[in-house]
Amino acid sequence: MTDKKPKLELRNLRKSFGALAATDDVNLTVYGDEIHALIGPNGAGKTTLISQISGEIMPDSGQILLDGKDITRVPPYQRAAVGLARSFQISQLYKDFTAEDNVAMAVQAHTASRFNMWRNARRDASLREPARQALAKVGLEHRANDLVSSLAHGEKRQLELAIALSLNAPVLLLDEPMAGLGAEESMLMKDILAGLKGQYAMLLVEHDMDIVFALADRVTVLVYGHPIFTGTPEEVREHPEVREAYLGNE
Amino acid sequence: MTRKSIVVALIFALLFLVPPIGNATGETFLVSMVTRFVIYALAAVSLDLVLGYGAMVSFGHAAFFGVGGYVVAILGFHMDMGDTLFGWAGTSSALIIWPLAMVVAGLVGLVMGALSLRTTGVQFIMITLAFAQMLYFVLVGLVQYGGDDGLSITSRNIIPGLNIDNDATFYYLCLVLLLVWVALCRRLVNSPFGMVLRGFKQNERRNVNLGYAPTRYKLTAFVISAAGTGLAGALWANYALYASPDMASWLKSGEFMAMIVLGGMGTIFGPILGSAVYLGLEQVLTAWTENWMLFLGPVLVLVVLFSRRGIFGWLIGGRNND
Repeated sequence: MTDKKPKLELRNLRKSFGALAATDDVNLTVYGDEIHALIGPNGAGKTTLISQISGEIMPDSGQILLDGKDITRVPPYQRAAVGLARSFQISQLYKDFTAEDNVAMAVQAHTASRFNMWRNARRDASLREPARQALAKVGLEHRANDLVSSLAHGEKRQLELAIALSLNAPVLLLDEPMAGLGAEESMLMKDILAGLKGQYAMLLVEHDMDIVFALADRVTVLVYGHPIFTGTPEEVREHPEVREAYLGNE
Repeated sequence: MTRKSIVVALIFALLFLVPPIGNATGETFLVSMVTRFVIYALAAVSLDLVLGYGAMVSFGHAAFFGVGGYVVAILGFHMDMGDTLFGWAGTSSALIIWPLAMVVAGLVGLVMGALSLRTTGVQFIMITLAFAQMLYFVLVGLVQYGGDDGLSITSRNIIPGLNIDNDATFYYLCLVLLLVWVALCRRLVNSPFGMVLRGFKQNERRNVNLGYAPTRYKLTAFVISAAGTGLAGALWANYALYASPDMASWLKSGEFMAMIVLGGMGTIFGPILGSAVYLGLEQVLTAWTENWMLFLGPVLVLVVLFSRRGIFGWLIGGRNND
């Protein structure tokens, strides 16, 4: 790691649904060029945490800082503009659009032309070129003109990532990008993410430990909404409490 | 040429040929009938912009139709009386009155949209309906302007160089306005703005996540749609030489919706066909029975069952996701 400046910081973040503390005093720092994995058993509150960072859920208390600036109260539709891009665990795509249309939606979101009512969006090279490049980055350029409804599940996951990349945001919140992928597809996705390493600050929610250990610089273990440990993959592997809580004593 | 552009060209070619056909066959009512098709089509196309592309199911668009009609009727009324309205001597020029009708309808749309768009789904349908009904009763309450009975208009507005008292000329004017409006709407739905609007229909969560603030885009589309419907109302008042609260009744809103569903939702062109088929069926069937809706119902059901994009979708065939 070269960039030791904290990019994204969570401070004493709390969120309860009734009696359930989904996020329980979470402190977490993601540095500018690291892949920070977030692991934990089902129901540990990983997606709830991501949703708070992306603004869909408002925390009860605590702070979210980006580059040291408090963004806790920034509305969800401005989070991309301040520098947060999110991919969803369950793909959120425009099903009646082509793959390229989907990515172009992310491209135009941060251009001045997004309110333009005159130009033909599908013939605008300034939107289409970057979209095509993003599709190439995730290995999906051969499907550019196909409708999302005709894509396979794995391809939708790749498209989901291409959309997040096209927001040109320095922070990527990746909520289980490998969800539902077969072994081969997971490896492909792992290679794609490995290729992006160092260019973004990534907070990666992932279940597959092999992938986490292969990709992550640091790992935070979340149990019942509370981070019980943060450290390098090796430290996490050796940590007794983590083994007990999550990895299991094999 | 794709099949779609052939169908569209045929629709407009046919509409342009109606007056000569009417003349040749001596069926003079034909022009009057298609004028109604075209005016209603203008309203239905406008509604399709928000309903078909933005998934805003407005059940209150008749309000804008009524507003457009009353702008024409009220100005005509004061001209006839020879008095002023808010200190303005008035005018009978279509070039002023029709854009004014669009602006007033757009402003009403701005208020109605700003409040209604706080809700979605069924609540949105009900709140737009409620607003339109409020306006309906306001119009009924305008005793000075005929209240329940509405207002008669003595003559059509004036356009320099055109005699729109001539029915064929008036028809061609309406048709050209429809053509221009359709072209603008097509332009809009294919623009970056239009893509965002369609994005809200397909996946609002993703749209917000990408950075599109919902109200800004939806409200803009709603106001544009209201203005187009207002123009249709102004044309209707000129056509019928009459404006009444019925123009703003919820039945009218329902008719616009039925035309869209019939013709093809989210196609812009479809509602033109929808308007023609709906009003055509009404014309033919009312000669038979006053319960003509009895026949319209099954037709609607069949169209919905067998074509995702109505008659237009069926005509252009194949996979069409626009």
